[in-house]
Amino acid sequence: MVKSEILKGEKETYQVNLEVFSGPLDLLLHLIERSEIDIYNIPIVEITDQFLAYVQNMEFLDLQIAADFLLMAATLMQIKARMLLPRPVLETEEEALEEEDPRVELVEKLLEYKKVKEMAAQLQTKEQEASRYFPRTGGSFADLEVAAAVEPDERVTLWDLVQAFSTLLESLLPRFELKGMPEQQYSIQDKMDEILDRLARAPRLSFHALFAEQPSKKALITSFLALLELIRMGKVFVRQERIFGEIVIARWEGKT
Amino acid sequence: MNWREAKAVLEALIFASSEPVTIKEMSIITGLNEETVRTLLSEMAVEYNDQQRGIQIIEVAGGYQLVTKPEMAVYVEKLKKVPRQAPLSQAALETLAIIAYKQPITRAEIETIRGVRVESSLTTLLERGLIEETGRKEGPGRPILYGTTKEFLKYFGLKSLDELPVVDDWILNRQIEMDVTAD
Repeated sequence: MVKSEILKGEKETYQVNLEVFSGPLDLLLHLIERSEIDIYNIPIVEITDQFLAYVQNMEFLDLQIAADFLLMAATLMQIKARMLLPRPVLETEEEALEEEDPRVELVEKLLEYKKVKEMAAQLQTKEQEASRYFPRTGGSFADLEVAAAVEPDERVTLWDLVQAFSTLLESLLPRFELKGMPEQQYSIQDKMDEILDRLARAPRLSFHALFAEQPSKKALITSFLALLELIRMGKVFVRQERIFGEIVIARWEGKT
Repeated sequence: MNWREAKAVLEALIFASSEPVTIKEMSIITGLNEETVRTLLSEMAVEYNDQQRGIQIIEVAGGYQLVTKPEMAVYVEKLKKVPRQAPLSQAALETLAIIAYKQPITRAEIETIRGVRVESSLTTLLERGLIEETGRKEGPGRPILYGTTKEFLKYFGLKSLDELPVVDDWILNRQIEMDVTAD
């Protein structure tokens, strides 16, 4: 649900809307597609490890999405355990056929979910097209700037962002630990303003540059949450000009 | 009235209405049969397209509507600050896609497919008028059933639910073969 707590100006209670994260099945699919793994033969040990690493990152960021993700983590570990257990010797071929691969149920869910993602993508295309028609009387103006669509191969998923951020955080943490300065308090709203303000002066902002200059861990995390919120609000987008290239943040064109 | 007059009337009706106008409504008002109205409208649509006009007639949500042409969007949006409505989030789009294709459907059924709680995206979709409660499912707890609205069709520029993008049913047809060895 969209909580317009920015308007209330209550900085402390500001909650990042986590609807941007589609859930554990989305993360699993992302991991599978990224590794170019056959969905019918998921290397469960590897994927479970990768999944848990993401959950840890998200916990570190204090993203309150843990429950569904923890449930999936438990499911993965259960499958992993079942696959590693020695199997009883099977008497007949029929018995061998009856024995179900512990991954079957998960694969079926993933395939069904993949279809949902495909349907959602189609709806999104329709949403973009329809936002370019203006009816005579008001009506709902969908966000016009979405029409300036990003090329699909330049798109950066949220999982890529979390990954990039975690890597960056790791490399920057030692620096922060040296400082004994009392920390300044930042609200997500402050950081959102800061990002928008910088984008008003320059059309592009490097992901790395934005975070590398944050003075503390808290400022760093707050900035990241602010970026997620701006993406959700449709004010900025992130893209990667080539694979493994620099991630850049930009605002949707045409609006002040 | 002759056909030119009839077209002028239809144009006026569509112009005056804030909602898409149905063939039936136009037929009743003009006294022309529905087939004639349909023919006139398709001729008008062609005329709008052929002439260098900034507007066009489109068929949406079971009716007809006058809208600006998409290539005009770049100018129209400079006209004034239009109310900003954020595009739907990925989560909301996924929830909406499930409802659109499987309606009527309960919250629990949606959650099973998405593998995540969907309370907040349901609230967003209800608030934006894209879905509504369509009844209750028989059985324990009599859970609420959800379905899409006319606003849903308008928002996505669809004539009717039949116009939803076709999704390949490859999943149903493919035999699931599993490798039984662990990695």
